[in-house]
Amino acid sequence: MKVLLIEDNLELASSISEFLAREGYICEVSYNIRDAQDKLISFQYDCVLLDIMLPDGNGLQILSFMRQERIQSSILILSAKNSLDDKVAGLEEGADDYLTKPFHLPELHARLRAIYRRKKLNGSNMITFNEISLNIDTLEAHVNGTLLDMTRKEFDLLLYFIVNKNRVLSRQSIAAHLWGDYTDNLANFDFVYQHVKNIRKKISAAKGTDYIGTVYGLGYKFNTSKQ
Amino acid sequence: MKLVDKFTLWFLGVTLIIIPINSVITYQSIKREIDKSAIERLKHVNVRVAAQLEKGEVPGEYTQGCRIKVESRLGPTPEDQYEITERDVTHDPELRDNDRKITVASYHTINGKHYRITSGDYVSRSEQILAGLRTSIMWKLIILIGLVVLTARLASRIVLAPFYGTLKKLQRFSIKSKKKLTLPPTRVKEFKELNSFVEKMTDKAVDDYLSLKEFSENASHELQTPLAIIRSKLELLSESDIQGGQAALITDMQNAVDKLTRINRSLILLSRLENNEYETEQEVSLSRYAQEAVNAFGDLIALKSLRLECNIDPDVDVKLHASLADILLNNLISNAIRHNIPQGSIEVSLNRRCLVIKNTGRPPEGPTEDMFQRFKKGSQCNNSIGIGLSIVKQICDINSFQIRYHYASERHIVEVAFPVGAASSKLLQNDERYLHEKIQL
Repeated sequence: MKVLLIEDNLELASSISEFLAREGYICEVSYNIRDAQDKLISFQYDCVLLDIMLPDGNGLQILSFMRQERIQSSILILSAKNSLDDKVAGLEEGADDYLTKPFHLPELHARLRAIYRRKKLNGSNMITFNEISLNIDTLEAHVNGTLLDMTRKEFDLLLYFIVNKNRVLSRQSIAAHLWGDYTDNLANFDFVYQHVKNIRKKISAAKGTDYIGTVYGLGYKFNTSKQ
Repeated sequence: MKLVDKFTLWFLGVTLIIIPINSVITYQSIKREIDKSAIERLKHVNVRVAAQLEKGEVPGEYTQGCRIKVESRLGPTPEDQYEITERDVTHDPELRDNDRKITVASYHTINGKHYRITSGDYVSRSEQILAGLRTSIMWKLIILIGLVVLTARLASRIVLAPFYGTLKKLQRFSIKSKKKLTLPPTRVKEFKELNSFVEKMTDKAVDDYLSLKEFSENASHELQTPLAIIRSKLELLSESDIQGGQAALITDMQNAVDKLTRINRSLILLSRLENNEYETEQEVSLSRYAQEAVNAFGDLIALKSLRLECNIDPDVDVKLHASLADILLNNLISNAIRHNIPQGSIEVSLNRRCLVIKNTGRPPEGPTEDMFQRFKKGSQCNNSIGIGLSIVKQICDINSFQIRYHYASERHIVEVAFPVGAASSKLLQNDERYLHEKIQL
C-alpha cells in the first residue's frame, strides 16, 4: 500500500513512516500543503494521512483540491484539534475517517486498514490468517471452520491483533481501541487481560494455534511465527 | 430594607427634628411681632392723648376697649419715654380671664406739667398662638408624610431607573457569553460613575476570561502533538529489542502518557462544552444510546460478575448532541462499573422524565455533591483522573438537565432529570418574570 503522509511535525512524521514502513507500506511524507499537492498530482496513493494544521494553510484545503483533481485516494485525517467542526467538515469533504492526536500507532494502522478495505476490496469483507477467518460484516469469527462464540469487543480485539500482527500492543492501546477516548475506564487493564484471556481460550478450544502471547510487562503480541 | 425606605425614613427623621425647632422659632417670632405692633399702636395712642392734652381737650377714656390713664406727676421725666408692661390678667376680677395685656406708659411734659399716660391692649395669648401652630404643624406633618410615602416609590422608580437598569444588565451578564456589557447612558453623576466602573470591571473580566480560555485551549491543543510524538516513540521503542527492566520503564511511561492524554482530552472537551460547540436543536433517541451503551459495557459487567437490571423505555427522545449522549452514558455506566463491589448490581432505568443509574458500592467518604468538581475523586480508585463526573455535570448544565447524586440504601444513585418540553419553557418564563419583579423596586 502506498501512503502519503501530510504532517508538518518531523518527529511525528518519522514515527509514523517508520511504523508503516515496517508494515511494508511505501510511505512518503509532505511537510506542507504545496508539496503535498505536487506529490498528489504526480503520483498515485492508496491512502492519504492528513494533518489539519499545516504551516501554509488548513489541511481541509487538500480535501477540496483532491476532489477538484479527481484523486481517488482514501483519506484519514489526523488532527490535534479535536474539534467537532473540523471532524464534520472533514468527513463531509470526503475524508474517510478522523483520528485525534495523540493516537496509538497500531490504532492508526487499524483505521488505515479499515478504510483501505472498504475502498479497495469492496464486497470481500473476510480477513483470513491461517486457520482464523473474520467476517467484518457479520462480526463472525471462524477457527478451522468452527464458529467462535465471541462478544463484539472480543471480535474487535481479535481483528485488532490480526491487523497488527507481530506488533507489541500495549494495554493502553487496546483499551483505547475498545472503549474510545472519553471513558475514564481505560486504566482498568484487568478488563483487557480478561478479554485477551477469553480470546485465547476460545481459539484454543477450537483447536487453533495460540498466537497471542504476553510481551514482558509491555502488553500483548499476535505472534505469527508460533506454530 | 430598600434604598427608598431608607431615604424616606431619613427624611422623616429630619422633618421630625426640624418641625419642633421651627415651631418654637415661629412661635417666638409671631409673639414678638404681635407685641411689637401692639406696642407701636399703643405708643401712637399715647402720643395722640398727649396731643389732645396739649390742645386742652379731654382725652377719651378708652381706646380699643382699654382704659387710658392720665396721671400728672411731679419730678423729672424719666429718660425713657415709654414703659411697657405685660401681664397676664388672670388675677383681674373684672375680666376673669387669662388674656395677655400689654400696657404702655409714656411720659409727656405738656404745658410745664408732667403727665404719665398709660394705655393698654389685649393681645393673643401664647397658648392661642401655640394652639394655632399645633394644628397647622399637625396638618403639615400629615400631608408631608403622606406625600413622601406615596411619591417616594414613584420618584425612586424614576430617579433610580438607571441604577436598576444597570443592576438588571449585571444580573443577566455572563462572562461566558463573551459579550461586553453596555449600559444605558445616564446624566446622574453617581450612576455615571457606577456605570463606567461596572463597564470597566466587566470588560476586564471578559478580556481576562477570554485570554485565559484561549491560553488553556491553545495549551491543550499544543500538548497533543508532543504527546503523540512521545506515545509513538514509546511504541516504536517497545518493539525494539529490549530487556525486562526497560520494559517496565516503558510501561510506566506509557501509563503516564496515557493519563496525561486523558486529562488533556477531558479538559479540551470541557472547554468545548463551555464554548457551546455542542449546541443542538435535534432530538436523539436516548433509548437507543442507552441500550447501546449497556450492550457495549456488557462484557465489563460480566467480567466483574455484576448483576445488571435494565428498564429502558422505548422512544425516549431528548434534545442532546449525539456525541454528548455517548459521553454522558459511557461515563455514568463506566463509573457504576468501576466503583462497584464484586457481585454487586447495576440498575439502569430510563423514562421520559429521567435517567437513573443505581449501583452498589462502598459508601462515599465525602459529600456527594463534591464529586462533580474537577479532579475530585473518592480515594477508592487510583485509576481514575476524577474528571468524568464533572464532564457529566457540564453536559447536564448546558442542556438544562438536573443532575443529582446521592447515596441511599447502600446504593449510589445518579439521577438525570430531563426538562419537560412545554413545561420547561413556561417555568423559564415565570423565572424571568420573577427576576423582573425582584429587580423592579
